[in-house]
Amino acid sequence: MMEGSISNRIRTLRFHNGEMSQAELGQRIGVTRQTIAAIEAGKYSPSLEAAFRIAQVFNLPLEEVFQWDAKATH
Amino acid sequence: MPYREKTAWLSLIAMVLTFGPYFTIVAMRSVPGALPNVRQLGLFAVAAIAQMLILGAGHLYLRRGSPQDARTPPDERDRAIMRRSISSAYYVLIVGMIVVGCVMPFSSSGWSIINAALVMIVAAEVVHYGVVVLSYRRQT
Repeated sequence: MMEGSISNRIRTLRFHNGEMSQAELGQRIGVTRQTIAAIEAGKYSPSLEAAFRIAQVFNLPLEEVFQWDAKATH
Repeated sequence: MPYREKTAWLSLIAMVLTFGPYFTIVAMRSVPGALPNVRQLGLFAVAAIAQMLILGAGHLYLRRGSPQDARTPPDERDRAIMRRSISSAYYVLIVGMIVVGCVMPFSSSGWSIINAALVMIVAAEVVHYGVVVLSYRRQT
């Protein structure tokens, strides 16, 4: 199995969108502030639907918000 | 701390404060096996009512502290944590019920079986709320 982790640019994108708060972003995609904090910190991987919703809020394609960092495997 | 983590802590604390003493008392003195045993039933009623009162007062206090969070429906992360915790508790409960329902009737009777069933139900609940708390702690 390919190993790796999901990273994201949500913190930066919030900053560039008028310092949007985690609570506001959460409200717009239908999750709690704590869930946005967990996603930002890479401690929770959102569902595909939530990921698309986040990308839609920033008006960006999904891959510009979330990245898959593959680890080299033998 | 998320509202749902607080309610999970509340349930864990209520369980420990009420059924902890109940099982300690039951373990320390031999319970007559014959049914019904009004004294034993009374002890269980006290534990159950105390748990209900702690939960009621606790939920009221938490709701007053963050009414907005209390009204917010669970999101996808809350639901994922709930699924994980229920599936973990299910295994504890099913093993307990096999022991209590299929094994113990050959060697025990009366309140021994009832108390063993209660131990397994409480253990399953502790696992349920414990997994909820751990999951929120890990993702915070």
